[in-house]
Amino acid sequence: MANSEAAIRRPHFLARKSTRRAVLIWSFLVPSLLIFFLYRILPLGWNVLLSFQAWSPMKPAVFIGLENYQEMFFDDEVFWQALWNTLGIIASAPIGIAIALALALLVNSDIRGRDIYRTLIFLSYPLMTVAVAIIWRWMFDERVGLINYVARIAGLVDKPIPFLNSFTWALPSVIAANIWQMLGFYMIIILTGLQSIPENLYEAAAIDGANAFRRFARITLPLLRPSIFLCFVIGMLNSVTSFDLVYVMTAGGPGRATEILITYIYKLGFTQTRFDYAAAVTVFFFVLLLGVTWTANRLSGGNAGAVEAD
Amino acid sequence: MDRRTVLKAGVATAGTLAMPAYLRAQSNKKLSILTWNIADQEALFKEEFADFQKANPGVEIEWLDKKGPDLPAFYQTQLVAGTAPDIVDLQGELWVEWAAGGALLDLTPYLQKEPELIKLYNPDYMSSFVYDKKNYLIPFYISKTLLYYNKLMFKEVGLSAPPTSFAELISFSEAMAKGEKTGFLTLNFDWLYWPLLKMNGVELLSPDLKKPAFNTPEAAAVLDRLAKATASGGINKIAWTGRWVEPNGAFAAGTVGMFHAHSAAYFFVKGQGRWINPDTLGAVQTPGDWSTPTNHGFAVSKTSKNPELAFALVKHMTGNKWATRFSEIRRVLTANIEADKAGLAKVQAEDPLAHAVLQTQLEHTDKMTGNWPLPNDAQIKDGFWPEVQNAVLGRKDAKTALADAERAVARVLRRS
Repeated sequence: MANSEAAIRRPHFLARKSTRRAVLIWSFLVPSLLIFFLYRILPLGWNVLLSFQAWSPMKPAVFIGLENYQEMFFDDEVFWQALWNTLGIIASAPIGIAIALALALLVNSDIRGRDIYRTLIFLSYPLMTVAVAIIWRWMFDERVGLINYVARIAGLVDKPIPFLNSFTWALPSVIAANIWQMLGFYMIIILTGLQSIPENLYEAAAIDGANAFRRFARITLPLLRPSIFLCFVIGMLNSVTSFDLVYVMTAGGPGRATEILITYIYKLGFTQTRFDYAAAVTVFFFVLLLGVTWTANRLSGGNAGAVEAD
Repeated sequence: MDRRTVLKAGVATAGTLAMPAYLRAQSNKKLSILTWNIADQEALFKEEFADFQKANPGVEIEWLDKKGPDLPAFYQTQLVAGTAPDIVDLQGELWVEWAAGGALLDLTPYLQKEPELIKLYNPDYMSSFVYDKKNYLIPFYISKTLLYYNKLMFKEVGLSAPPTSFAELISFSEAMAKGEKTGFLTLNFDWLYWPLLKMNGVELLSPDLKKPAFNTPEAAAVLDRLAKATASGGINKIAWTGRWVEPNGAFAAGTVGMFHAHSAAYFFVKGQGRWINPDTLGAVQTPGDWSTPTNHGFAVSKTSKNPELAFALVKHMTGNKWATRFSEIRRVLTANIEADKAGLAKVQAEDPLAHAVLQTQLEHTDKMTGNWPLPNDAQIKDGFWPEVQNAVLGRKDAKTALADAERAVARVLRRS
């Protein structure tokens, strides 16, 4: 009786069960979508708009068309230097993934204490990036750094190498620190992928006479493709946006040796008060990341991160 | 509706309308002040604010302090949001950009209204806060570069006095370079290295500040010399790559012969260097007596709802009484003439070496350089400095680096 009364009082549009479900689902979704719109889409739109304007906090905005983009592509050497460095960091992601793959294969085998190794390797990932940067800054230090100390004790070098003060070594040093931090993450993802590969595939291959290398090349690697591409996409996004790591380790120097797009955008905005131009570089950066991510996803067969079983 | 009801409704409406005005009046007595990396002075500030509030009952003061790199970004964000603090402590030449952009209040009329006030402050330091013939800041505390030298290292190589020319500075540096030891180090932020070029007659810009003027054979020769001394170990590489902690730490370690830095560095270095005492550390003017200031001053935001009150608080904090207390407690000079006299007298008795350091800050104040009133200072710096690094660290020859820097600086000036 009570139910039928409630049904009578219910507004007409909620009468159908499917509509009621949809309303329920949307009522959960709307707050998140609203936040996403306010803090992601709206600033992105504003940023695109700003990139076509001349604006600073103390002056009204003036539409200038493509001037900011023109300056960026044809009149700004720093932008190109930062772009090459950013691409260099993106290109270094496979090195980290290759090391992580080797480690994952190792800790996936029956070695003693493998859980301890897994934990130790993963430990670098949850560390705060600023802490990682400080640790590596001191590791690379010319006077008191562990790396120089070991290299000198081992007789590898006569004079300490000024890793972070050298135009040659600064970027590789930052990349090394970045790879170290991401290694734990890569390893866990690849390990999960490895454990999802059915054992019977290896058994069948072994019966067919395939050696270890062929089993790795023909079974492990192809089936790990989604995991590897997931590592690449997330690792790449994480690396090129790791402002804190670069800023704390070198602040983009010496010269522009470690300047990447994200540090350059920050400097343009908050050191030089050129928010309009910074917006143009940000739009380019966004398109670049979109392009790289899309390509990586296509290469993975459009299912990066999926776990292929059976 | 009878007349009484109408009257009651009228009174209630008037009361409701009047209430926000009353609240507004109350909030009008609120001042906010943003200081830069000086949170350690909380106790003193509280005393100063309490004293001000005694003379100005009902005034509420909100104090906020931000660390070094955070303040500019924070203040900019506040400006955009329209909630800039009434008073802001600004360092170096950062204020010029905001003054030129109309974010800061021109304090000239306030100073003209009280002609005695300006006489409180050192005129050279005061004049470094002028842009477009308008005064935008009142000095809070001051600092400029000088040359510290390690007497022990000088003695080791038979040097008896600090250098008096650029050539000596370089040759002394090279003489002290041996193994882990290097001869010279400079701080490099905020144009603090500029005296090295200025003492050789190099100018950054033309007198009207509209064109680059540094791409000269003299400048190339200076950079070339600095590069050679860096390559030979005479100049420590940290001079060109470190910011604050690294160069100070290196000099404090006792393995660097000379350190070109501002007076604030002394307290950092002394805190870390056990070897430092009046017999082992010397403090003199840099050859040529040129120095780059990196002063702190109080500005009033143009958006302040209480500019008069804000200026009164600035006056209060930089006046004789509180500037003296500040100078004595923090061992800094304030550009308040009376306060600095008292501060110096106190520090002379307690720490003669600190006195020698601080004394340099009041000498040759007419030879301050690297403090051009440029609204685009940060952009020019960003175009110039990386090329200096390229030259002195041997990545480019000096002429190429200067030509590249000239292109970058000219682009900034063209855009302005």
